[in-house]
Amino acid sequence: MAIRRRDFLKFTGAAAGSCLLAPQLLANPSAGMDSFDDDWGMLNDETVCTGCKTCQYVCKKRAGFEAAGDLPMYDNPRDLNSRNHTIVKMYRDDVKKEHSYVKKQCMHCNEPACVSACPVRALIKNPDGPVMYDAGKCIGCRYCMVACPYNVPTFEYESATPEIRKCDLCYDELAQGKPTVCSQVCPTGAIITGRRKDLIKEAWRRIEAKPDQYVHHVYGEHEVGGSAVLYLAGVDFDKIGFKDLQEAPLPALPESIQHGIFKYFVTPLALFGMLAVTRGSTMKCDPVSDEDCIEE
Amino acid sequence: MTAEERFRQKKAHLPTREEIEEYEDVMERFPREPQRAKLWTPLFTLGVAIIAVGAIITLVRFIFGLGAVTNLSDGFPWGLWITFDVVIGIALASGGYTTAALIYVFNDARFSPLIRPAITTAMLGYAMAAFGVVVDVGRWWQIYNPLLPDNWHGGSALFEVSICVMAYLTVLVIEYLPTLTDRWIQSGKPVAARRAMNIRRWLDKVMILFILTGIVISTLHQSSLGSIMLLAPHRLHPLWFSPWLPAFFLLSSIAVGWHVVIVESFISSKSFGRKIEMPLLAGLAKRTIIFLGLYVMVKFYDLIFYDEFHLLFQSWYGLLWFAEVALFGIVPGWLLATPWIRRDPRMLYWTSWMVIIGLMLSRANVFLFAFSATPGWSYFPSIGEILVSAMMVSIIMVGYKLFANYFPVLMREEKLQPAK
Repeated sequence: MAIRRRDFLKFTGAAAGSCLLAPQLLANPSAGMDSFDDDWGMLNDETVCTGCKTCQYVCKKRAGFEAAGDLPMYDNPRDLNSRNHTIVKMYRDDVKKEHSYVKKQCMHCNEPACVSACPVRALIKNPDGPVMYDAGKCIGCRYCMVACPYNVPTFEYESATPEIRKCDLCYDELAQGKPTVCSQVCPTGAIITGRRKDLIKEAWRRIEAKPDQYVHHVYGEHEVGGSAVLYLAGVDFDKIGFKDLQEAPLPALPESIQHGIFKYFVTPLALFGMLAVTRGSTMKCDPVSDEDCIEE
Repeated sequence: MTAEERFRQKKAHLPTREEIEEYEDVMERFPREPQRAKLWTPLFTLGVAIIAVGAIITLVRFIFGLGAVTNLSDGFPWGLWITFDVVIGIALASGGYTTAALIYVFNDARFSPLIRPAITTAMLGYAMAAFGVVVDVGRWWQIYNPLLPDNWHGGSALFEVSICVMAYLTVLVIEYLPTLTDRWIQSGKPVAARRAMNIRRWLDKVMILFILTGIVISTLHQSSLGSIMLLAPHRLHPLWFSPWLPAFFLLSSIAVGWHVVIVESFISSKSFGRKIEMPLLAGLAKRTIIFLGLYVMVKFYDLIFYDEFHLLFQSWYGLLWFAEVALFGIVPGWLLATPWIRRDPRMLYWTSWMVIIGLMLSRANVFLFAFSATPGWSYFPSIGEILVSAMMVSIIMVGYKLFANYFPVLMREEKLQPAK
């Protein structure tokens, strides 16, 4: 039962062959995009938002769903869901006499955790900025939902053929040179579409122009490596549901471990070799051919 | 070609008399046999009943979607099924690769009576983990997608887990094949026996490659199960989040595997009215002490290294952390290190259960208890989820009984070493 030299060589050959596939295996779906400056993105200025929810209505319509009833206010969802890829929520503190609306949708991170999580590349970061979903690849494992720091991807739990659903930054509108539908309809200009670097510039221009009206922070500029969607607010960001997140992109740690282990299949091959050597060196006799081998 | 020639050609493929004797000899030294016990005991019937109920719920899930059966939500996307059926199931099934390593890498042939029970349990465990994934994922009809090269994403821990689980399940089935061939070798039907022997001869030549590959694959995906949560530091309580999670998961899988083999051996000894394989089981238990001890040490060192020790005394999570380290480490490690305890069947049996429950807690902590839902959401498993998980356990128990009953899995009793 010892490893025959020929068998071992055969196996090693097969393993070496699979190493040739490694570049494909290791390619990062969001690699090759060192600069995110020219990505399409949105700037949501919550100090300008009046909470009219027109963005919510047109977004739902674009996704192919009708806002139910004549009084959409009464079935306003409490969070993003598989029928609402953007929603407007309200924060109010009567003691401090402050309030703010906040529009939620996918942040379209520069280095998205959902894209890193997806085992089948059903989620990819488009070079233009949008994080896109392909139901034809998706197996519905929902790891993207676990990984997303903004709890954005949603799932059609009520369907037998469910899909992951989220904002796609209206990539088809962008391709026609138009802004996203939510920014098209916003009556107060609280949502603007543009290139990421221009939006950041505009955000800081607004803060500097009215320093007492804004929190001096552009949310999304640095959070988890930055995102294509940026926020300005007049109240602290943690009050309107934005976590204090690390600046390093979330995929950095797990991907460095995965890529470290599988680089050229060194770790698996070394482990295999160690096992084979241990087997060879601890073998006193062959239990198949030697009668006394197992008599202890 | 005349009938005569055909016969000669056919005969040329058959093993010679010497080879047959050689195999009969091996069979005699490792004489495993089907138990052929009474099948429909009350517990077996209960198991089948649970499977029937679970099957109906599974059907409802496939027809009406996950929402019809589970309490999962957008704010808590992974629940009991991923935690128990998949993450805990795969850890508990690690006895297959650790026992294989003990016998075929460290060449300790004394443990040979335990390899087939361990492989059988592992195969059933992985099959149910894979089935659990199929039940849990939304788009299950595309479950083969990770195999298509266009979709490969090596950066995703879940990709590695999915590939490795599929590969290892295949390896386990191959490792199980000798049990099938032996059944026909022992059948007494000359033609079937000779054909089975031919297959067995070929299997024996390549088996060690599969065994070693199986061990490599196992260590890779057992650790990668821990890497899954590395993407979600914002979700996982800092007492559990650590870059060392993959190491914790690997270490604990090694420590728990043999305890599952021990418990399974006790249960099957009782079920089939056999002698308890005692000195072997105590030997296995003794070998886990070092891994339990290491686990406790790295868990403490993790908190010290990342300066999180004070978190232990700030909330109830600290208590959960202590419960995990006590059940999966300190208490059983200390018990097993006492020779009379690990040699006493009753004490060993319950200590092994303690380790298994500790392992369950350690995985559930990461995937359920210390995993924070989106604000405004919460999760508690539904009756349907619990019954489907119960079905998975029942399939493993019922399947094991069927395999041990009709295939040569267990060693003939007189060949077991007498209890000391």
